Amino acid sequence: MSESIAADPAAAPPVAPAPAGAEPDWQRLHPATLALAIVKLGPRSLNFLPAVAALGFTGNWVWIVPAILAFVLISLAFAWANWLRFRFLVGDDEVVIESGVLSRQHRTIPFDRIQDVGIEQGLVARALGIAKVGFETGAGGAGKENEANLDAISLEAAQALRTTIRAHRSGAVAAPAAAPAGEAAPVAAPLAEEEDRLLFAMGPRRLLVAGLFNFSLAALAVVGATMQFFDDLLPFDFNMFDPTDWIDLAGQYGLDQWVIAHRWIAGLGALFSLLLIGFISGIATMVFANWGFRLTREPKSLRRTRGLTTRTDVAIPVRRVQAAILVTGWLRQRFGWHQLRLQSLASDGGKEKDHEVVPFAKLAEIDPVLGEIAIPRPASDADWQHSHRIVALGGFVGAVGATLGGLTAVSFGQPLGWLGPVAGGLIALGSLFGARFHRWVDLGDRVAIRRGMWKPKTTLLPHASVQSADLKTDFVLRPLGLATLVFGVPGGSSLATHEIPAIPRGVAEELRARILTAKARA
Amino acid sequence: MTDTDAPAHPTDPFDPNALNTSEGLNPVDPRYTHVLRVTTAMNLVPIAIAASVFDALLIRHLDGPYGLITALAWLVAIVMIVSFPARRMQRWGYRIGEGQLRVARGWMFRTDTIVPFVRVQHIDVGQGPVERWFGLSHLIVHTSGTHNSTVTLPGLPADLAAAMRETIRRHIQTDFA
Repeated sequence: MSESIAADPAAAPPVAPAPAGAEPDWQRLHPATLALAIVKLGPRSLNFLPAVAALGFTGNWVWIVPAILAFVLISLAFAWANWLRFRFLVGDDEVVIESGVLSRQHRTIPFDRIQDVGIEQGLVARALGIAKVGFETGAGGAGKENEANLDAISLEAAQALRTTIRAHRSGAVAAPAAAPAGEAAPVAAPLAEEEDRLLFAMGPRRLLVAGLFNFSLAALAVVGATMQFFDDLLPFDFNMFDPTDWIDLAGQYGLDQWVIAHRWIAGLGALFSLLLIGFISGIATMVFANWGFRLTREPKSLRRTRGLTTRTDVAIPVRRVQAAILVTGWLRQRFGWHQLRLQSLASDGGKEKDHEVVPFAKLAEIDPVLGEIAIPRPASDADWQHSHRIVALGGFVGAVGATLGGLTAVSFGQPLGWLGPVAGGLIALGSLFGARFHRWVDLGDRVAIRRGMWKPKTTLLPHASVQSADLKTDFVLRPLGLATLVFGVPGGSSLATHEIPAIPRGVAEELRARILTAKARA
Repeated sequence: MTDTDAPAHPTDPFDPNALNTSEGLNPVDPRYTHVLRVTTAMNLVPIAIAASVFDALLIRHLDGPYGLITALAWLVAIVMIVSFPARRMQRWGYRIGEGQLRVARGWMFRTDTIVPFVRVQHIDVGQGPVERWFGLSHLIVHTSGTHNSTVTLPGLPADLAAAMRETIRRHIQTDFA
């Protein structure tokens, strides 16, 4: 299936839209959608468990099987009714969707307003050869009512539909979509050869390396908590994070005396499983998310396909890219590994605010991608300016808080409270050191902002993306003659604003004036 | 910077408009003080009453320092209602010119926002019941940025707010033409 999803869209058989003048050709979702409904019944039947339990407790055993059967049948009947009453029409320049069993909804989406067509396939959907098509219209508010989905149609139809919409958007005549594949090919093929270039792909080797750097103890916390929680329920009484359990294990083999004499062996065992779980979870999350990762350049957009079980296929229109964000880590930076995310107006569902277009690569591989969106990295001799050290103040306030809290605990006789001052000292040191890593440089048509020591993050923000700019001062910055610049940029998370903290006020005012006079992006 | 033509000569630091003059901004309408005062009173008086009731019902029964909370609550409320609104009004400033709207607010944490007219998505002019009482309106400018998706400028005489809206609207149209 990964081959077919990545296949040249021009080669896919087209959807059959209405021939001009004829009766509109309404289409239904793929019948296999009903099979998907059965799969979705699994989790939903949990709601039904209390009813079954109630029947059992009241002694009405005979009714349990009929009740379950009735539940399944009614659910299926609803799914079928939904399927019957859902139809869509791919017109010359719009998609029309009609849905609803009792209250009908009629939705028209002009091709011109579709920013992005996403194709997503879950595990079952891949087995059935169907895919969910999502239309990103850029309408505000990510509510359920604003979503326009076809869940699900056959994969070929989904790809053909996307080709149709894309062809329309790129100014080509809508005719190729209506024509048979043979006629469409001469028009689309040269375009495809010329424009659909592979920019970046990830093989299994790269995934493995990326997974090793993705070492995460987050999964560990979950496993640890689960083991604590189910300690009494597990068939074996063994907590691998507990060195005493390792001693017990050794005891069963007559090794206990030796292990107690060499306690460090037990500690090593615990540490080893800790590391193992950290690495395995890191590799697993990387492989599941990014298996078969491909980033291709299409006439007007970057297209990303990835995923092991759930494959997603997302197009990011180049003109909608607002900013590029390069993220690396303290350790992976030493090896030259970076991640590239793009902030775009079309958001990538609810989960991901920025589009991850290169999960793990060297800068030499990232530069061509940045070239495609015309936001190159600053040259190595760029004249980086530093933020004032005062940015460490927030960390200091936190450190003082931790210290005071810890000392309070100590005064109440809790020796663990000494952790507070220790943590406070570390936080203070970290923020003092990290303050040196806040820097920025203006590159004429874009600014580059760097921050972070543990997780360095470089934001490349074109002047033309800036919609508004705040100059902020407060009772701390003002006496020092400093100001913070905050930029209003479309897309992205409202929590992660782009800002240049604590720079001289005159410089900030001049930079703001320069940025705001920029013309809109071409 | 478009506002550097602001008067550089020393201004009287006790002049109510000293801050805005030094930054080249226009003050908002003085009647906005009354709007702030009334809205603050509507928020704080119920809280002060609630504190008094709490004091009378609970602290007195606990033999606590009865009257302390009541006195404090009313003191804070009266200071906030009587003396703060005038200062808060003075901290607002705006300037419309050379293709951009500039709005500044606050003192402890001062934010000075510039929105170029080209970036304006749409414009609202709003008027709450208290504002209507004093003949004022507020102007809301919407941008497509995630941060600053709305920029509000309160305390404008109703006709000035409408005129500003027209100015911005004209700019948007000429820029797209």
